[in-house]
Amino acid sequence: MFQNYDTVNLATKQVMRSETGELLDQSIRVKDLQHFFGDGELRKQALFDNTLRICRGEIVIMTGPSGSGKTTLLTLVGTLRSVQEGSLQVLGRELSGASPSEMVETRREMGFIFQAHNLFGSLTAIQNVKMGMELFNFSQTEMRQRATELLTRLGLGERINYKPNSLSGGQKQRVAIARGLAHGPKIVLADEPTAALDEKSGREVVTLLQELAREQGVTILMVTHDNRILDVADRIVSMVDGYIKSDVNVKESALICSFLHELPSFAGLMPSTLATIADKMIAEPKSMGEVIIRQNDEADTFYLVRDGEVDVHAEQDGKIRHLATLKEGQYFGEMALITGERRNATVTAKRNTLLYTLTAEDFHSAVDSSSSFREELQKVLFERQ
Amino acid sequence: MRRRTALAWNNLTHDLRRLAIAIAGVGFAALLMFVQLGFWNSLLDSTVEVIHVMNGEVIIVSKSKYAMPAVERFDLRRLQTAKGVDGVVTAHPVYLEGWESLLRRTTSIASEGKAHRIRVVAYRIDDNVLSIEGLEQHKNALRRPQTAIVDHLSHRKFSFPVGSGLNKYRGELADRRIDLAGRFTLGVDFITDGNLIMTPSNFAKYFPNRAFGAHPLSQVDVGVVTIVDGRTPIDVKNSLRLALPDDVDVFTKEEFIAREKHFWRTQAPVGYIFLVGMYVGFVVGVIICYQIIHADVSDHMPEFATLKAMGYRNGYFFHVILCQSLYLSLFGFVPGLAVSYLVYQGLGQWTGLIMTLKPSSLLLVLLTTIGMCSISGLLAVRKLLTADPASLF
Repeated sequence: MFQNYDTVNLATKQVMRSETGELLDQSIRVKDLQHFFGDGELRKQALFDNTLRICRGEIVIMTGPSGSGKTTLLTLVGTLRSVQEGSLQVLGRELSGASPSEMVETRREMGFIFQAHNLFGSLTAIQNVKMGMELFNFSQTEMRQRATELLTRLGLGERINYKPNSLSGGQKQRVAIARGLAHGPKIVLADEPTAALDEKSGREVVTLLQELAREQGVTILMVTHDNRILDVADRIVSMVDGYIKSDVNVKESALICSFLHELPSFAGLMPSTLATIADKMIAEPKSMGEVIIRQNDEADTFYLVRDGEVDVHAEQDGKIRHLATLKEGQYFGEMALITGERRNATVTAKRNTLLYTLTAEDFHSAVDSSSSFREELQKVLFERQ
Repeated sequence: MRRRTALAWNNLTHDLRRLAIAIAGVGFAALLMFVQLGFWNSLLDSTVEVIHVMNGEVIIVSKSKYAMPAVERFDLRRLQTAKGVDGVVTAHPVYLEGWESLLRRTTSIASEGKAHRIRVVAYRIDDNVLSIEGLEQHKNALRRPQTAIVDHLSHRKFSFPVGSGLNKYRGELADRRIDLAGRFTLGVDFITDGNLIMTPSNFAKYFPNRAFGAHPLSQVDVGVVTIVDGRTPIDVKNSLRLALPDDVDVFTKEEFIAREKHFWRTQAPVGYIFLVGMYVGFVVGVIICYQIIHADVSDHMPEFATLKAMGYRNGYFFHVILCQSLYLSLFGFVPGLAVSYLVYQGLGQWTGLIMTLKPSSLLLVLLTTIGMCSISGLLAVRKLLTADPASLF
């Protein structure tokens, strides 16, 4: 259906998921997941109707206040807790009702990085890393080589034979990270991996994770409060009180914001407001030749061309005139919404096209906040004089 | 199987201070068991030691004599009858007195006037009825009147002189003067605080009334029967049983020892007390081991949980904990054994009780130590085996 979406890989995936729901390269599928802690009267629901899909090679960061359920969700995905209600598929295996043996099989394909390093004080750095590999078919030489490489990569090349007692907190954490990655997991689950690290080593760790994701298609799900590393995320899932409040495709969102910023009606909006608008936009694929809006129809939607091309025609005096061809980053449909008139042109997809749409209601509230922002600004400037 | 990181060994030996404490704990548990087991064995061994040294295969006692300390005797004529039974070489009387035999030292100011009961053993010295260590050299001296030899393991309260001062000892047995001619080794038990050996003729002079008017030597405490080569003790015992009236009981020596031990094990309160002591020793030992291993496993719980999260199976944790328990029990057992050996030596010398480190005790304590360490380890690790890893961090 869409051929040339390599450049907008992530957007494509989202669209295809929403249409088919089935995709081979989905690493993690969470559907209507509920989770409870405690029994009887003390039973407390920790997760409500969580639904989340994560593709192979995606880096997803989960944020949210403490107690919002992000670690609970992470440990459920990691098979460190048993699924109570709902469906959870990891690497194509359903974990709801899975046997302990199936859970162990799944676990072995994942790598964990915990908030606490949990290293064995009795083992050296390299021995601790090897503990992560001994379950698999590595030879002693391979293990030694891989562990040394990883530790060196993380800046601990000189310290592979040190015991945790002789390492700083950050160094210990990096050993734990090496241990979580050493066996070549398909999914990496990390709970505040950079909390104990300084800026430089934290950056090194996320760069390493990014490489794993890009080059080996490792899926990374990370809980973090560390704003310094949010930029590596493909998506940011934000949780509040056990609900997934938002699931933002970061790069896509940033792109939309930059497009929206060009719109005079939205000029002066704060990035956060633009991002909120971007969140509300819905992706709509159109096939070649499909009519998107018709002249003289009621106006109820604002459109942004994400990818592809649309032709704009208007009928004037019985003649159809080609007014324009709109490309990626251009928009249409705003005029009728602002003036309240009917559509003054017909728009058709010139080829297979992806549009982002915003309802009239959301559009107006955005314009209103934009104008109130301007008025506010003028007032502030006026009072200064 | 590829060689894996020796986690159990590393965890155990990584913190030497902690290891030392753990070894001390397990060693102490082993020591506790050894000592209690030692007392228990000592109770049984010491009380039957006097039977052990009897040179005979069959023993005759009064029907009413339920245990060695019971003052129940039988008529000397029964031994005459026994001598005529087929398969019997001879039958010797052994006389014991533990009640009227009050011994008082008269030369010591400290114990002047204070009398203590001592067990007096009398038999015909020349017949070698008892094999007593150190007796041979005193045979001639014992033929003198009012003379006895003394067990050097006797309690200190008798204030027997040490070394060569024995001939200066002045004392009274049953209010009659007694001279001490030398020392022998037999050992005390929980009833007996000391032993004297003398000839029957001297014995009769000290305790003239023990047969209620009859000749004092006509009432025998234990008859020791030697049998003809080629006859089994059971065989001869059965013949004797048929030949002798119902007022005596006949046992093979082994049966008699077994019966005596059985009495102390099951009938005497002191037996119960030591049995309970031994169990308490074992229970305390298990608790100490549990504490040590549980603390160790609990401290490593997040690390073990991390391993579980990596996909290590329960079998691995079983293996690690059992290895660790085994190492710890062996490490603890060795010093525990060494200290126990010293304690046995000391207690044996101090009390005169028989404290021997038997191979069976060694094995029992070793297996129990390993067992209790393993069980403690498994108890400590059971949470890890059953719980979701997420609940273990």
